[in-house]
Parts: sequence; structure tokens; C-alpha cells
Amino acid sequence: MNYILSILIFLPLIAALVIILLPSGFRERFKYIALGTSIVQFFISVYIYLNFNSSAAFAGINRESQFQLVEKMSWIRLDLGSIGKLEIDYLLGIDGLSMPFLILSALVMFVATLASWEIKTNLKAFFALLLLLNTAIMGVFCSLDFFLFYIFYELMLLPLYFLIGMWGGVRREYAAIKFFLYTLFGSVFMLLIIIGLYFSVLNPATGNHTFNMILMMDPANYLGSSIFSTVASQNLLGISARLLAFIVLFVAFAIKVPIVPLHTWLPDAHVEAPTPVSIILAGLLLKVGGYGILRICYSIFPDAAIQSAWWIGLIGVVSILYGALNALAQTDLKRLIAYSSVSHMGFVLLGIASGTTEGVSGAVLQMISHGGLSAMLFFLVGMLYNRVHDREIANFRGLALVMPQYTAFVMIAFFASLGLPGFSAFMAEAFSLIGAFTSQEVNGLLPRWMAIGGSVGILLSAAYFLWTLQRMFFGQTRLKGGDVWLTRLRDVNIREKFALVPLAIVAIALGIFPSLIFSKMNASVLAFIQLVSG
Amino acid sequence: MEVLSFSANALCLLSIIAVAFPFLSFLTIMLGRKSPGSAISIFNTSISFISSILVFISVWNGEPVQQQVEWFSIGSNVFSAGILLNNLSVLMMVLVSGISVLVHIYSISYMKGDINIHKYWAYLGLFCFSMMGLVVSDSLLLIYMFWELVGFSSYLLIGFWFTKDAASQAAKKAFIMNRIGDIGFLTGLMIIYSQFGTFDIVKLFGSGGMIDSASIVDGIWISASTEMPVIWLTIAGIAFFMGAMAKSAQFPLHTWLPDAMEGPTSVSALIHAATMVAAGVFLLGRIYPLFDSVALNIITIIGVLTAFIAATIALTQNDIKRILAYSTISQLGFIIAAMGIGAYGESIFHLATHAFFKCLLFLAAGAVIHQLHHHKEQHNMEFDHQDIRMMGGLRKQMPVTFIAMCIAAAALAGLPFTSGFLSKDAILITSFEWAEGYHGFKKLVPYILTLTSWLTVFYIARLIFKVFFGKSRYTDLHEAPTSMTRILMILSFGSLFILFSFNPLSYDGSWILKGFAGAGVKGFDRLHLFIPAIVTVISLAIIFIAYKVYGGRAVQTFPEKGLLYRFSNRAWYFDSLYDFLFVRSTTALSRLSYKFDKLVVDGLVNLLATLTNIISEVADWFDRNIVDGLVNGLATLARKTGDFARQFQSGKLQHYLLTMLTLVVTFFILTYFI
Amino acid sequence: MIPLSHFMLISAALFCIGLYAVLTKRNAIQVLIGIEFMINAAILNFVAFGRFDRIAGGGQMFALFAIVLAAAGVAVALAIILNVYKHFRTINPDKIDTLKD
Repeated sequence: MNYILSILIFLPLIAALVIILLPSGFRERFKYIALGTSIVQFFISVYIYLNFNSSAAFAGINRESQFQLVEKMSWIRLDLGSIGKLEIDYLLGIDGLSMPFLILSALVMFVATLASWEIKTNLKAFFALLLLLNTAIMGVFCSLDFFLFYIFYELMLLPLYFLIGMWGGVRREYAAIKFFLYTLFGSVFMLLIIIGLYFSVLNPATGNHTFNMILMMDPANYLGSSIFSTVASQNLLGISARLLAFIVLFVAFAIKVPIVPLHTWLPDAHVEAPTPVSIILAGLLLKVGGYGILRICYSIFPDAAIQSAWWIGLIGVVSILYGALNALAQTDLKRLIAYSSVSHMGFVLLGIASGTTEGVSGAVLQMISHGGLSAMLFFLVGMLYNRVHDREIANFRGLALVMPQYTAFVMIAFFASLGLPGFSAFMAEAFSLIGAFTSQEVNGLLPRWMAIGGSVGILLSAAYFLWTLQRMFFGQTRLKGGDVWLTRLRDVNIREKFALVPLAIVAIALGIFPSLIFSKMNASVLAFIQLVSG
Repeated sequence: MEVLSFSANALCLLSIIAVAFPFLSFLTIMLGRKSPGSAISIFNTSISFISSILVFISVWNGEPVQQQVEWFSIGSNVFSAGILLNNLSVLMMVLVSGISVLVHIYSISYMKGDINIHKYWAYLGLFCFSMMGLVVSDSLLLIYMFWELVGFSSYLLIGFWFTKDAASQAAKKAFIMNRIGDIGFLTGLMIIYSQFGTFDIVKLFGSGGMIDSASIVDGIWISASTEMPVIWLTIAGIAFFMGAMAKSAQFPLHTWLPDAMEGPTSVSALIHAATMVAAGVFLLGRIYPLFDSVALNIITIIGVLTAFIAATIALTQNDIKRILAYSTISQLGFIIAAMGIGAYGESIFHLATHAFFKCLLFLAAGAVIHQLHHHKEQHNMEFDHQDIRMMGGLRKQMPVTFIAMCIAAAALAGLPFTSGFLSKDAILITSFEWAEGYHGFKKLVPYILTLTSWLTVFYIARLIFKVFFGKSRYTDLHEAPTSMTRILMILSFGSLFILFSFNPLSYDGSWILKGFAGAGVKGFDRLHLFIPAIVTVISLAIIFIAYKVYGGRAVQTFPEKGLLYRFSNRAWYFDSLYDFLFVRSTTALSRLSYKFDKLVVDGLVNLLATLTNIISEVADWFDRNIVDGLVNGLATLARKTGDFARQFQSGKLQHYLLTMLTLVVTFFILTYFI
Repeated sequence: MIPLSHFMLISAALFCIGLYAVLTKRNAIQVLIGIEFMINAAILNFVAFGRFDRIAGGGQMFALFAIVLAAAGVAVALAIILNVYKHFRTINPDKIDTLKD
């Protein structure tokens, strides 16, 4: 038995406990504890990456025996009399779909912790919550038991609510509550579906109902008469129960992604959240949504997924274009980046909806790439805000003269985000689009115009990023705050470089050698496509 | 060539050296600390040039070389990256690296004293790297990547003087316009990939490749694995052409090129005249078998239109670089049109000759600008040093530049004994021959091209006479530094016929045309004699007229007003039109959509929140007044009762007794009387 | 012979007068007098009913016993009144309401 995943998940929790138990005199050391934790996590995840078996025999997806680093313990066994035995496992494991997210999580957490230097108040609570969040996110990506997944999934909300609500900007309460209610709205209905699934699925080994996700993916495990059974095709509220369940789960995860029109929590939450939380929100939270769609919606309800592919593709295209257009209209830099996230995550949906290997690979790469790049972008905005407490684009001009290195990093981040070849976003977006385009021939799910429509988003993203560059960084220096700002706008310092350089390296490395990710997940993607289409 | 022949491995290594060395200079300068970087850049570019020459010698007219490695795989599909060396790519390699060496050397003097000079060298390195990568790549995906990198380095170089608003805006415009083309390119990639499942150029476009073996049956385009409606074949062609249109500044995506002149002149010469703008043509050449007749027609029309429009605009411009920019657009139109009519070899030929003489024109203009700029700074004068109206009589002060410029202009005008004469005549004659087989608008193509070439003669003559003839305005204006003039001399040699063909009057013997076998038009008929003769005679007549008008102390006979003048001077109002049609409408749309987002989408959410609030208020009221009211009512009742009972407990003995009495009497009465 | 009802009437009258005094007088001494009235009304009843028990003379016995008790009660009551006066500086029962809590 291998406990490496548990260590990865619960290490931050232990660190959080240590921080809570330490007296406040150690206030200044807390950040180093958090930083050390994320570095250790990063090395663990790199170790996992290096030892990851990417052969087809370890594809995972819907075969429990093919998952790696599996930890299985019976956790809750309750005899419920006539309804049978409650069977909840502590089941962890990874395959090619989840493994890349572990590295991403560790990296983004590292950057977020470095960004936490700006937090000055109530450090104990802040770092404890940050580490708790870390545990929850790692847990989500590793759990294979739906009940366990749900616990981690909900556990993410709590620290985020407090992190936004206590350390946020002016309208933090509004943003925190909006974020909390939005996501809770999705997950409450998700719980209903989980219970429905529980009563529909039997563990063939024990004969009990089970929460095991992998067992839920096999139609043979469903009770013939159960609500979600594939053979019984029951109806709920006038539509097929499986379709309804898929839609509900999809909406729950899509709120996280987010999709248009369920995205409005995102700009507010991002703008009000402190920098480290924005980084985690954009870098990881959105990915949980995309990951959930792949791991749960598509894998458990592939038939319903095929049925709704057209709509999902449409949502993807609309998100791409709508997000980009909105980003173009922003005057606040952070809000602009928030909307650009909506646009970039649209590619993920488009790629997933295509149901092709190219599309799904592109979508996963896009999530990884956007995780790193949005972390970088928010970190950069945070640097500016931290120095002069202003993010209004119109208040800056000619920053390239004042902060040349900062400008260089901004240019890297901007060009990487707008999909310049050589950076990861290009590969990801190109293959999402190619997948979407090919879909018509391979499986007939998406019409070709969707891919072409989506590619217009690439143009728009160039427009808003370059416009921002031109307005804020080029031209003669003219700052709203005058000389006071000039003295405060120091260039990038060592700590900030430590955060930015790894992200830039990851973006370039994945852009030039996409096989770093592709080769690890190819088998899983193929198995996934096999499961969905067949 | 037997003298020098390398194994395929060595060739690939050499070409990798040619590609990678400029990138090394980019890396070392950017990561190193504040070194000026000129030495390392020039060294690396020269290495790149030398290895290009070696590759060229051994590959030209020989077997194409392709080597590839596995790059990544998605699902079961393997994507490889590799190098493809054939006539087209090695010619481009030499052209690009050769001109870039010259421009590098030229830049030493031209850019002297700029505080960000190290960045200039770095960006140039990045550009050369991406351009060289573009020409040697064997996969459409790789080409696309380098294609955008070329655009990116061009963005950096146009916006090199980023403190100037015009420069940073021009850079943005160039990148975004190129992005429009890139969408086309990407669409083309998607179509190709979904039809053939590979990006490998040799597998796709090689003889007997997938494009060849795909067939069209009943409007369905069938490849080995899949099929789609034939319309997508046309769309693919147009989509790729869109990419070429943006990069080669073809109508209607041409407006970025004149603005790109905000960059340093050396950059304009290298990128926006000789090399990058050729990338579009190069792409067309690489994927030529893909185009069906509809796509070719569109290419022809666009090329001809561009050539004509740009030439008319160039007639009235006053900024020396803008004239040259429009001239570049016009010449590229020629080249593209040649591609469209199937004159593949002629097109590449003109591309090569044009690269030399246009580069020379720019560099000579750069010499003029450089000297005037210095003069301006020395004497604290205030005038636009790029405006040809502020020049004049420079031929005595800058004789070398003058001669170089004249040679280049003659080449552009297509006068005999220049390289331009050969290549332009090749295109014109081929177009006449091509048009013979058609009716309708296609008959017009050669005539418009001829007309355009006369317009070209006029505007370039106007430039020469205005700049170099007439009375000099400035005393003590000197010739440009020798390092610059030396480059001009080398390029002047390159603009003469000798480099391309030993026969100055016939292009048939040109080695470039021979290199693209089957493309050249054989046979010697009347066209080959008459067309050059007529064109040349009329050109000379036009030069004479131009001299009368602009040279010497001639009277101004062309009024600088009127509808046509303004139309031409404002570049057919394309910028205003685009600004109105696209820029404004997009920003308006974006604002609208943000309003929609704020008011409608978020409004709905907030409305939901408000509704919930209202409902909760109502519930609260109900709770407080009805539910809680009941509870409170009970409490009140109890209190009232208590209050009533309390009265009896006055603490006064007599009251107690009275109460007791009352109770006793009451019980008595109750017991006995009721 | 005087009928029994006459005794009873007088006794009742005496009792009522006593009761009235007890309930209304503003002086504790007067209240005490009222109590004495009521006791005496009861004693009168004892004596009057005593004629039905000539052999044992229970009525007379109880009357005598009650008179003695009344005398003792008056003595105690007066002592209380004296103490009340010392404590409250008044013997008006209306002013003394400390019984209520």
C-alpha cells in the first residue's frame, strides 16, 4: 500500500494545525511554513509525475485496477436495515487525467503562497485557511469515491468564503456571498444526484449500494429498475432521468468553470479577492470545474453527454466570444483578466464537447496552461496593486520606462495568454479548435462553424491584450499618482521573480514540448474517448 | 553541384545551425547583462548566412531533403517536427539570411546611440530565427508557429520606439491584422487536419501526396480516410490565402504595412520589404497544390487589385517611407497575382529580385533620413525629416546614395539591365499568355498589371526627382557613413541583372526560373519581344514627364487637390473605413456586451438576490407579526393575569383578610346556594 | 326562656362588628379590639350552645378555655404591636406592607 497521495493531501492540513497551535509570536514564520509545505508538495507531485506509468495498461478512467497509487480503505460502513448497508470508501487514485492537475495545484499553491507576502492582518487564520484550501483541492483531484469527492469539493468553499470575505477589497462581503451562493447552488443539486446514483448502483463484489465513481461508470452495475439505470430509461420531470442528472451535474461544475451565463460571480470574486486567492481561484478552482465535467459528468453519463454535446459546444463558443468581448470593454485590469478567463475556459468546453482525442487533450492542456498563466497574470496585477493600490488601466501609461522587467513579464504573460506559438496556450487552443473542427467527421457531434467561431476568440484576445499593453505600458510615462507613484513603482524583486519565472518556464516548456503532458495522458484520453463514444 | 555535397544529416545540422544561431543571439542578449550585442548578433547572423549558402549549394536543383523527429502525439496520432529542404526553402534561406546580414551591418551605424540598442539586436535575432524556422519547417503546424513568431518579432520591432504613441499603435495594428490572417491560416490547418490527419508538407503536397490522391466525386472531397463537401477545399485554399494576405499585406488586409513604417528604417527594409512580407508568398508556394480554380481566381483578383490600389496610393504620398511601403504592397500584389495565374516560378523570381531592390530602396531612404535627422539635431531645426517635400537636390551631397537609389528605382520601374526588368517582364508576359485562354474579367488582368507598372514608374520617378533633383535646401549635408554606403553598393549589385541571368534582356536564362522546373514559359513568340519593348518605351516616356513635372525648376502641373488626389492621398480611406466598420463597431459591441453582462446577466442574478430578499422580508414580517405575535400574545395574557393577581398581594394585612373573607364567602355561597 | 336564635343573632352581630373593625380600622389596637369582638362572639356561641350539654358542661368548659386563650392572645398581640411600633414608628396597618415580598 502506498500512502503518497494521502501525504500529498493531508500535509497542508498538518501544517495548518501546526500554524494554529503555534503562538502568535511566530506570526512572521507562518508564511514560511506554508511555503515549505507547497514546495514539499511540489516535489512530491514531480516525483509522482516522473514515476507515472503512461502505458495503455494504466489508462485508468473506468477501470479501478488501472489507476495508480490507489489507496482504498473502507471508511464508513453502516447497516441501515431495509435499505442495505451504507458503503463509503476512502478511495484515492490517479490516472492520466488527474495527474497533471496535481503538479499544477502544487505549483499554483506555491505561487499563491509567495503572493501572500502582501497579507498583513490576521496571519494565523489566513495561512491556516489557505492550507485547508490546499488540502481540499488536492483531495478533489485524487478522490475516486463520489462521497469523498463531494466532501473535498464542499470543503473548498469554506476557506474561500472566509479568504475573500475577510481579506478582500471594498465590496468583499458582496463578492464572497455571491461566490458562495452561486457554487452552493450547483452543489446542492449535485448532492441529490449523488444520492440518486447511490441507490442506483450496486457494488458487484459486496452487493451493497456504493459511492464508488468507477463502479458508477459501468452500466452493468446499475439496478435494472433504478432511476438512473440505462436500461430502464426512467423519466423525471418529462425528460430522461440520466439526461437530467447529467445536466444538473454539468451545471454544478459549469458554474465553477464558469460558463456564460453562469459566470457573473467570477469577475466580482476575482476583483475583490486578495491576490493569492485570485490566483487560486483562477488557477485551480476553475479547473476543478473542467476536471469534474470530464471525470464525473462525461464518465458517468456518457450517453447524456453525447446527447448534449451540441449545446456544450455552443456554450463553449459563446463563452469564448462573450468573455473576450467583455474583456475588451474593461477599464480595470483585474476585471479584464477575469473576463479573459471566461473566454479561455470556453476553449476547454469546446474541446471536451468535441469528443475527439485532439479536443479532449487540448482541453486538458488548456486547463493546465491557463492555470499557470492566469496565476501569472493575477500575480502581476497584484504586484501593481500592491505598490500603488490602483488597477485602473487609464491611470497608467508608459510603465515600460518605469518598470522594464515587470513589463517584460507582463509581455510574456500577455502573449502567452493570447496564444502566441511557443507558449502552452497556443498548443492547447489550437488542438481544442482542431478537435472541435474534426468532430463533424469523427463523430458528428459539433458542426464545423463552431471551431471557426471559436478561432475568432483568438483574434479578440489579441485585441484586448495588445490594447492594454499599448495603453498601460507604452508611450511616454504618465501616471495618475505622479511622482509618488514613480517612487513606489519599484521593479520586480527577488521573491516575485521566484514566483514568475517558474510559471513562465512552464508555459514555454509546455508550448514547445507539449508531449510533457500529452505523453502522460494519451492512454487515459484514449480510454476516455472509448468510454464516451462507445 | 558536385563540388560540395553533404549527407542529409549534415545538411539538416547546417540548416539547424542557420536557424538556431540568430536565436542564440536573442537569448544571450536578453538574458545577459546590458551588453550592446552588436558583435554577437552580426557574428551569429553571418554563421547563419554561411550555413545557408552551404545548404543552398548542395540542395539547389538536387534531391529535396527531409528529416524529422517525433514531436508529440495525441491519442494515436503522431506529430513530427522536421526540416524540409527543397529549392523553395533553400532559396528563401539564402535570401533571408543574406539580407539580414546586410541589414545587421547597416544597423550598426543607423541605430548608433539608441539606449535600447541591445533589445534591437535581440529582436532582430528573434526575427531571423523565426523567419529561418518558417522556411525550413516541414510541417504546417510548425510553419504556423514560426509564422506567428515572425509576426511577434515584427510587433516588437515596429514598436521598438515604444514611447512614441504612433509606433506602439502601429505595432498593435500590425499584430492584430496579422491575427485576422492567422485565423484563416488556422482554419486551413483545421480543414487539412480533419481531412488528412497530418500536417506533414511532403506527405500532403509532395508529388503523389495526399492532396493529389484525394479525389472529388459529386461535390464530395474524398481523402484516404474521410470525406467532406468540396466547398471545404475551396475554403481551405481561401483560408490559407487569408493568412498570406495578412502577412504579405494584400488588400483588404494591407493597411498595417504603411503604419509599420514607424519602426526603424533598417527594420522596414529587412522585415517589411524583403523578408517577412515574402512569407505569405512562401506559404502559397508551399501549399500550391491545394488551390483549386476558385481559390486561384480569388488570389489573382486580390493580387491585381492590391497592385493597382497600392500603386495609385503611392502616387500622392509625401512620406518617403510610406511611398516605399505602398510600393511594396503593390509589388507583392504583382507577386501574388503571378501565383494566382499559375506563374509559380516567375512569382518566386520576382520575390527574390524585389527583396534586393526594395531592401536597397529602403536602406537608401534610410541613409537620407539618417543624415537629415542628424542635420536637424545639429542645427536644432524642426521639420519632418521623412517628408520628400522637405528634401531636394541631394544628389550632389549624397552621390553614392543617389546612384544606389537610382539603380533600385530602375529595377522597381523595370528598366532594362536591372533585375526588376527580368522578373517583371516574366510576370507580365506570362499574364498575357495566360489571359489568352480566357474571357471576361480575366482578359483585364494583364492590362491592369501593365498599367500598374507604369504607375510604378511614375511614383518612383517622382520620388527620385523630388528627393535628389532640384535645389538643395540644406548646406553641409553629408554622405552617410561608409558602413552604410558599402551595404548600399552591395545591394545595388544585387539589383542588377547579372546576379540572376546572364542575358540582360531575357528572363528565360534565369537560374531561379530554371530552378522551379516546369513553371517557366517556354517558346519565343511575339509577346516576348513586343511587351518588353512597349512597356519600356512608355516607361521612359513617363520618366521624362515626371522629370518635367518634378525635376529641376519645373512648374507644378499636378494640382494637389480634387477628389481623386484626396482619395489617393488618404489611401482610399481604408483606415477610416476600417476604423468605422471594425474598430469602432467592435469596441461598441464590447461595451454593449459588457452592459448586457452587467445589467442583464448580472442583473438577473442580483434580481434573484433582491427577490429572495423581498421574500425573506415578507417572511420576516409574517414571522414577527403573526407567528411570533401568537407567542407574544400568550405571554401578554399571562402577564396581564399576573398583574391582576398581583393586586391581591398588597402586603397589607387587612387586604389579605378581606380576600380571605371574600373567598370564604364565595365558597360558602357556591357550596350552599348553587 | 330566651330562644337560641337571639343569642345567635347577637353573636353574629358581634362577629360582624369585629370583622368590620378588623378590616377597616387604621389602628392596630382597634383591629385587636375587633379581633376580641370576634372571639367573644364565638365564646357567646359556646355559652349559648352549652345548654344542650348540661351533664358535661362542654360549652362552659370551652368558653372558659377560649377566654384564657384570648387573654393570652391579647398579651402576645399587644407585644407584637409594641414591636411593630418600635420598628415602623406606626401602628397603622395600611402603612405596613412588607408582607408582600
